[in-house]
Amino acid sequence: MAIDRRLLFNIDWGMMAAVLLLLGIGIATILSATYSGRNSGLEVKQFYWILIGLAALLVCVSVDYRRLVDQAPLLYLASIAALGYVLFLGPRIAGTRRWIVLGPVQLQPSEFVKLVAALFVAKIFAESKKDSLGIADILGPGAAVGLLAALIAAEPDLGTAFTLVPLFVTGAVLAGLRMKAVLILLAVGIVVGGLGWEFALKDYQRSRIYTFLDPSLDPRGAGYQKIQSEIAVGSGGVVGRGYKNGTQAQLGYLPARHTDFIFSVLAEENGFVGVVVVLGLYLFILWRAMDTAQMARDRVGAFLAAGVAALLAFQVVYNVAMVAGLVPVKGLPLPLMSYGGSSIISSLLAVGLILNVRMRRFAN
Amino acid sequence: MRIYEDLRSLQSRLSVIKSVVVGALALVVVYFWHLQVVRGKYFRELAENNRIRAVPIPAPRGPVFDRNGRVLVENRSSFNVVLSAEPHANLDTTLERVGRLIEVDEDQVRDRIDGQGPRFKSVVVKADASDEDVAVVESRRLEEPEVGVEVVPLRAYPLGTEASHVLGRVGEITDRQLAAASFTGIEPGTVVGQAGLESQYNRSLMGKDGVRRVIVNSRGVEVAEAQQESPMPGPAATLTIDVELQRAMDDAMGGRPGSAVALDPQTGEVLALTSNPAYDPNLFSVGIPPTVWQGLIKDPETPLMNRAIQGQYAPGSAFKVVMALAAHESGVITPSTSFHCPGALSIYGKTFLCWKEGGHGTLNLAQALAQSCNVFFYNVGVRLEIDRISKYANLLGLNAASGIDLPYEASGLIPSPTWKMRTQKMQWFPGETVSVSIGQGGVTVTALQMVRLAAAVGNGGRLVQPHLVKTLKNAPVPFPAPVDLGLKPSTIAAVKEGMVAVVSPGGTGWRAALPGIRVAGKTGSAQVVTHARLESDKKSHLYQPHGWFMCFAPAENPRIAIAVMVEHGTAGGQSAAPIAGQILAHFFGVPPPPATSVPEPLPVLPGRPGPRPSPAARTADE
Repeated sequence: MAIDRRLLFNIDWGMMAAVLLLLGIGIATILSATYSGRNSGLEVKQFYWILIGLAALLVCVSVDYRRLVDQAPLLYLASIAALGYVLFLGPRIAGTRRWIVLGPVQLQPSEFVKLVAALFVAKIFAESKKDSLGIADILGPGAAVGLLAALIAAEPDLGTAFTLVPLFVTGAVLAGLRMKAVLILLAVGIVVGGLGWEFALKDYQRSRIYTFLDPSLDPRGAGYQKIQSEIAVGSGGVVGRGYKNGTQAQLGYLPARHTDFIFSVLAEENGFVGVVVVLGLYLFILWRAMDTAQMARDRVGAFLAAGVAALLAFQVVYNVAMVAGLVPVKGLPLPLMSYGGSSIISSLLAVGLILNVRMRRFAN
Repeated sequence: MRIYEDLRSLQSRLSVIKSVVVGALALVVVYFWHLQVVRGKYFRELAENNRIRAVPIPAPRGPVFDRNGRVLVENRSSFNVVLSAEPHANLDTTLERVGRLIEVDEDQVRDRIDGQGPRFKSVVVKADASDEDVAVVESRRLEEPEVGVEVVPLRAYPLGTEASHVLGRVGEITDRQLAAASFTGIEPGTVVGQAGLESQYNRSLMGKDGVRRVIVNSRGVEVAEAQQESPMPGPAATLTIDVELQRAMDDAMGGRPGSAVALDPQTGEVLALTSNPAYDPNLFSVGIPPTVWQGLIKDPETPLMNRAIQGQYAPGSAFKVVMALAAHESGVITPSTSFHCPGALSIYGKTFLCWKEGGHGTLNLAQALAQSCNVFFYNVGVRLEIDRISKYANLLGLNAASGIDLPYEASGLIPSPTWKMRTQKMQWFPGETVSVSIGQGGVTVTALQMVRLAAAVGNGGRLVQPHLVKTLKNAPVPFPAPVDLGLKPSTIAAVKEGMVAVVSPGGTGWRAALPGIRVAGKTGSAQVVTHARLESDKKSHLYQPHGWFMCFAPAENPRIAIAVMVEHGTAGGQSAAPIAGQILAHFFGVPPPPATSVPEPLPVLPGRPGPRPSPAARTADE
């Protein structure tokens, strides 16, 4: 699988540089977040995960994305199998069934299923030849993606399951979903959400949403994370409290501070300046990703790049908004920065898919 | 350039999505600006003033009582002056200011901070501070908010040095203990048992620490208490020790180096146990200064060692009880068997001396025990041979730890041909058997093994399991029942008769005799240097033999068994027997035997021409 040297020349090195910068900032922040605790040494592990992720990225760009998209149905079936496996046969860790244990490492299949869903959505909508779509046209694809989301939600992992929604909507809108249909979907969403609240949500999930609306209901319990994270972010001020000097992080007030709340540590220790720099880097990456979709040489490429961009954009925006206390706490890692093997590899594969589309924009 | 027409509408829709993403990120940035720049001050204040910290409340360890409910170990409240500043950046100036208020060992505090690792933790500046120190610190609360006072339970041993080797001591958990499996789950800084029962029953005596959640400001100074979980004190333990008897034993020992153990011969309950020199376990409770610690571990008198279970000494003539039991049980002798003692036995090309010049004449077993005649037991040993001697010694609990509930018990040694081959790769010489016959020649025992042996003779041939804890958490602590050794009643009776003769007029142990109560015992004197060396330098205290005495009483149905060992005490009949007599007198509530602790000269053994005495010759019991 030798890559044409001209293709290598067309790799988006600017985007790659931004990705590497974020990875570096992530490692530094993990080091600070675990510095005073018992989890020291995680930054080294993260470094190894990044090396594995970069290798995966290299493999990903060496295969033409059209061949990947062609495999989407097969990958879809494999995803169903993997999700079914963790749900029914997987180990129960901290009350959830999300993991496949391979010797010393644990992998979260749902992180990779997101990317399969992006390939799958690209295949379905790119092949649609209609100029505009109605509700009836998206029922089938919606059910297929919905099945994946339902399996992930059952683990339970609502955060990851929900990332499939913006992905699917992006695909559908790009394929020409009519405005009227969008409005109907919105209405259905509200009804389903209401029913889900009543019947599908677990108690802890519901109490999280209640306490999100009013954190003082339970300042030591479910509201704790939100309050402490908000204090951490706010106390960062303009320039931050200094690397390794954030009291919220160092004194252990921030839960999950090296994983889902890594951005909280960054905001506390590096302030608004740090926040702007990091969000600027994410914006740069997302912008280039959507550029890639616009300059793709075919429909498949455009849908794929746009779908992956939507996935990343949703995760970044949701995670950062969660850290700021804007949206309810959901277990959703920050791509490229949060500690975790599955998340890092999946983020880098996502970057790989975008690079893949971009570098083959001139080829025939 | 573009080949595909249909991409154009796609590209315009993508522009819409692009603006949605940019808009969302812009909104988030605006919100961060609001949080960090507009409300930054407010949140900074929250972070500094509203921080909750968990402060552990150490649980008091369980108290320890003697068999009659008298306090042996308890806890007292003590005050620690702590420095809660964080981070310890301006530590030097703070320490200096504290140093002006109260006396502080600044180097020690710095060591403690360096060893602590993560920042943001309070540091003990002065442990067990005096009332004056506390008053000074409290009065400066406003000027020095970082300096505070904590109340902690401190282990207290009201008896001081008494029974210190039984009770043991406590101290902060060591790095090595932290890594050990038996201490998993115990936090650094916790006080744990470091010796004796405190160590043996550490987990049982430990309570469950409580926690105080306090709100602290940016300097780590407590602003308010949010929540408190009370500690659970450790459960109480009741020992088999009788503190009155323990005191009588300590008084009788009079601080002389050595050890003494008293058992209930029917159950194995330890009634009193002394090891001299002793140490004061209270010294360790506060955290012992390094110089004092170095002094204790380097002291040639080894005060930290529990001599009663760790001191391994030759038993000397006290071993003759084992010989008598073995010989009668295996049929080598009967109570009427007699040997003639001319003052020495020449055998295997050597001359083995009796302690009495001129000899004892003809004696039977009871007389030989009473007089502690060496020649009689040389003859017995030659007939028994080493394998049978070691077999019976092992049966009687020698050569093995008894399994008492104290850590690091020694096993002593009974030499045998297989042992010698294994350790020295040498053949056993028959002459060695002769030395073993009078408890020399490599035989070593502990005082605990000897009292167990006395108890076995006294209770009719059952080997008891010595133990110290009667109840824990209000429930009896189970111990193995005494093991019947299967000895013939006639054997027990014959040896008992001899041992009663020992503590009768004319016997070597007469100084332990009590009015109205028949005491059975055996003296022993363990040579520490060759006879020639002792002759050449009689003045040196350290060349004097160790004195042994073991006994039980009343002889018919004993209620107490005692072993006493006095290091370099000279003959056991002179040094150890009077001590045992005093302990017995207290136990039975009778006046102490006459003529106690009057030193009498050791019968002088005139140098004799002829063959050089073997190392195991001439050991006087009286």
